[in-house]
Amino acid sequence: MEARKLIDISMNLPHCALRIEDGSDSVAGPVSATGNGLPRGRALQGGIMECGGAKKKTVKGSDVVIEHVRKSFGEFKALDDVSIDIRKGEFFSLLGPSGCGKTTLLRIIAGFEAPEGGSVLLDGQSVLPLPPDARRVNTVFQNYALFPHLSVFENVAFSLRLKRAPEAIVKARVSDYLALVELQAHASKKPSQLSGGQKQRVAIARALINEPSVLLLDEPLSALDAKLRQHMLIELDSIHDKIGITFIYVTHDQQEALSVSDRIAVMNSGAVLQIGTPQEIYEAPATDFVARFIGETNLYEADVTAVSGERVDLLTAEFGAIVVTATNPPPAGSRISWTIRPEKIRIGHTEPRAARDGINVVSGVVAEPIYSGFQSKFYVDTASGAQLKVIKQHADWSDEGPELAWKDDVWLSFSAEDAYIVEVRR
Amino acid sequence: MKRRPSFSRAVFATTIVFLSMPLLVLVLYSFNESKSGSWTGFSLRWYAQLFLDSPRLWRAFGNSAIVALSSALVATVIGTLGAIAVNWYRFPLRKYLRTITFLPMILPEIIIGVSLLIFFSGIGLRLSLFTVFVAHVSFNLPFVFLLVLARLEEFDASIIEAARDLGASEAQTLVRVIIPVSMPGIVSGFLTAVTLSLEDFVITFFVTGPGATTLPLYVYSAIRFGVSPVINALSVVMIVGTIILTWSSRNVLKYIAAK
Amino acid sequence: MTRLPGTAKTPGGLYAAPSLVWLSVFFLAPLAIIVAYSFLTPGALGGVEWSPTLDAYRAIANPTFGKVTVNTIIVAMGATAITMLIAIPCGYYMARSEHQNILLMLVMIPFWTNFLIRIYAWIAILGNEGFLNDLLLSLGLVDQSVRFLYNRGAVMLVLVYTYLPYAILPLYSTIDKFDFSLLEAARDLGASKMSAINRVLLPNIRGGVLTAFLFTFIPIFGAYAVPLLVGGTESYMLGNLIADELTKSRDWPLASAISMVITLVTTLGVLLLLRANGTSVLGGDDHEAAEPAGEADALGAAR
Repeated sequence: MEARKLIDISMNLPHCALRIEDGSDSVAGPVSATGNGLPRGRALQGGIMECGGAKKKTVKGSDVVIEHVRKSFGEFKALDDVSIDIRKGEFFSLLGPSGCGKTTLLRIIAGFEAPEGGSVLLDGQSVLPLPPDARRVNTVFQNYALFPHLSVFENVAFSLRLKRAPEAIVKARVSDYLALVELQAHASKKPSQLSGGQKQRVAIARALINEPSVLLLDEPLSALDAKLRQHMLIELDSIHDKIGITFIYVTHDQQEALSVSDRIAVMNSGAVLQIGTPQEIYEAPATDFVARFIGETNLYEADVTAVSGERVDLLTAEFGAIVVTATNPPPAGSRISWTIRPEKIRIGHTEPRAARDGINVVSGVVAEPIYSGFQSKFYVDTASGAQLKVIKQHADWSDEGPELAWKDDVWLSFSAEDAYIVEVRR
Repeated sequence: MKRRPSFSRAVFATTIVFLSMPLLVLVLYSFNESKSGSWTGFSLRWYAQLFLDSPRLWRAFGNSAIVALSSALVATVIGTLGAIAVNWYRFPLRKYLRTITFLPMILPEIIIGVSLLIFFSGIGLRLSLFTVFVAHVSFNLPFVFLLVLARLEEFDASIIEAARDLGASEAQTLVRVIIPVSMPGIVSGFLTAVTLSLEDFVITFFVTGPGATTLPLYVYSAIRFGVSPVINALSVVMIVGTIILTWSSRNVLKYIAAK
Repeated sequence: MTRLPGTAKTPGGLYAAPSLVWLSVFFLAPLAIIVAYSFLTPGALGGVEWSPTLDAYRAIANPTFGKVTVNTIIVAMGATAITMLIAIPCGYYMARSEHQNILLMLVMIPFWTNFLIRIYAWIAILGNEGFLNDLLLSLGLVDQSVRFLYNRGAVMLVLVYTYLPYAILPLYSTIDKFDFSLLEAARDLGASKMSAINRVLLPNIRGGVLTAFLFTFIPIFGAYAVPLLVGGTESYMLGNLIADELTKSRDWPLASAISMVITLVTTLGVLLLLRANGTSVLGGDDHEAAEPAGEADALGAAR
């Protein structure tokens, strides 16, 4: 009871506030029927405020299981046997270039497209027979899709009005959700009077007020400028932390996906190439495509000459003999692709000390130095004619990075531990 | 500061004089005492005759108003639904609908008038105010359709999807989202339809029957016998009426857009 | 633009049905009847007899009708040419002006009153006892009334007056969308003023010019009321001929055949316009709707 009082006074988190206000499910009516019986209390991450006493990130929402989903538009295969398990409360990203099928998959989950085969299960129940309005899923649309004839308040209130919720409830809930996205001051404005970032927040509040168990976000930041995108990304993440439901986030921007996701599915040409945490995806790409699509990389082919434990000796056309590592090494004689991330290559004017075991050393000429303040990027031509990308973070005043100039002869080196095999060709 | 091209300016100024001169002459002559062309003195007698002693004219005006309002209303309802269908939904005959909403706008009026006359006589429908109404709906509908469509094209399907996503049924989506969003287009479509209907002479001329004289038809029969000062007075009343209507409908549209 | 999936549940067909039915019955069916009638034999008291013949089309070629056709073409081409020559500089001036709304209102002045009253106004000005003759007589410039009305010149004058705004509006809206810094870019790259206009401005406003041309030419080609009221026998046009055949001579097949000619000329012109604007023929992709819709706006406002 003590905790509740505290919350009553200070809490402006919608789910909590609502629950405490009416003290029962009945007032919220069908709206709260989307809840799944989990305790409603949750906390802001970082422990600014506590709800229900526990200081933890609440896990709510539904798990979404996508099994063998297929969809084509005429000749074009948009989704080709796609299966993904998305866990309760996860911030899950579908990442891929445009046309890879990620938006189609999202629209299938929302109910705007019907797959030709496969199933989509929410908490074990198939949602495919349900029309969009009957699914416990709401969408934040790419272009916001705000109703131009309604004020910000009425846009957010839309679902409640449909359910003929009493005026008092509507008022309270809408202001809670406007508070969540920090738009209380703009409630009476029309969408046309808002900036892009504000529109996006209205769209988020409008989608959340229904208390969906899954929120679908279709490239929600793509219409915003770069700075605002950064800011909104952080806000999205904190909203996710606050309400704890499953987020499925579609984006073509690997930076966005890496920075907020719990897990990412990388897609291309209608297929899922890899599912994993941002770190797994970045550090251990499953295919050449993933390696190239996520971050920047140097990707080459080579032949395996010898294997001992996790250490693999390669013969490359570009750099001669080098050493890489692999957890599951292919046998000697295999043709493979291997990669080394640009920031993992050291660059300098002086040759590194006598090659240690597992250190790969290459010399070259700086073909293009790109200075960008905190770091520099170099394109380095090696004697064999290959070009390597190298990124050097600039440390303190003694750092020689900014002095590395066009046409300079430089030495590159990287550890075997940082270079790894991506695909085995044969 | 934009440069003022002097040649085009001169042409434009001359054009405006050319366009407004006939109306100015009408206004002037409506206050002329004599019936003939020469100015004999200021008088309001033609206005008096217009308002007090022109029962046939006012009956024609009544007919025009009935046809204009009813045909505009029907055309607006039908045309709006058609525009919504074409803009947002897939259905059989979609291309066919695009074509037959486009054709009536480009064909000369006489073709529509003649073909409807032959059609009505073919199916044995007696010419009356009803056939005028049918004809007016037919030529108004495409304008409403395209004006609403132009408005709808500013929005993509995602706002319908958003409504469905937020729990609205198809019917709720229509009433709560689609129609309010299209309202400026619907209103301007309706106003255009009223105007076109009041304005039409050629098509009405062919499809009208006994006792179904509209205002343009009345004016036609009056001026076939030369200058009629009552028509001068009528013109001035119409000009004033049009200005008031235009001004107020603009405000209505503004109000709708702002709301 | 995406559209909703066409499942059985979506009511697109339901919404479209009234338009489809109405226009099929009251627009397309009558048109089809005209096509059929034009190939039939005239009945004794109007109507048709069901024996197919090409007589109606042969009749169009005979000297009397030939004369009317030639006159129609002369009037339509002449009035359209004059209209365009006036409309292009007007549209240009409006597009470059800072007071576009006021200028638009001014161009719309004729629409403050009724189509027939606009024609009537010219009768009041040009008639034997009209304003102009009154003026000329009182100034002593002429001894007796000049016959301004009931000739081809009067028909063309009133037609130009009637359709001038229809031409100005699309031209204005096209030129208004033109980015005039392109002309500066052309000059910068070495084009003279004239060649900049020819090579950069005109190609970019071609769509508007064609629209204006057709908005003028098509209704003038099918004109009925203007030649009826201010024309004489020698300025008779095809529209009048149709009405006469229909109501006086009661030769419905001939009236239908002449209507077919007008319809074909119109359709040809519009196909030309769509082609020149790079749009597929009617009802194709979604973007193409924007153009006719904009035109409808102008046309609706104009009419």
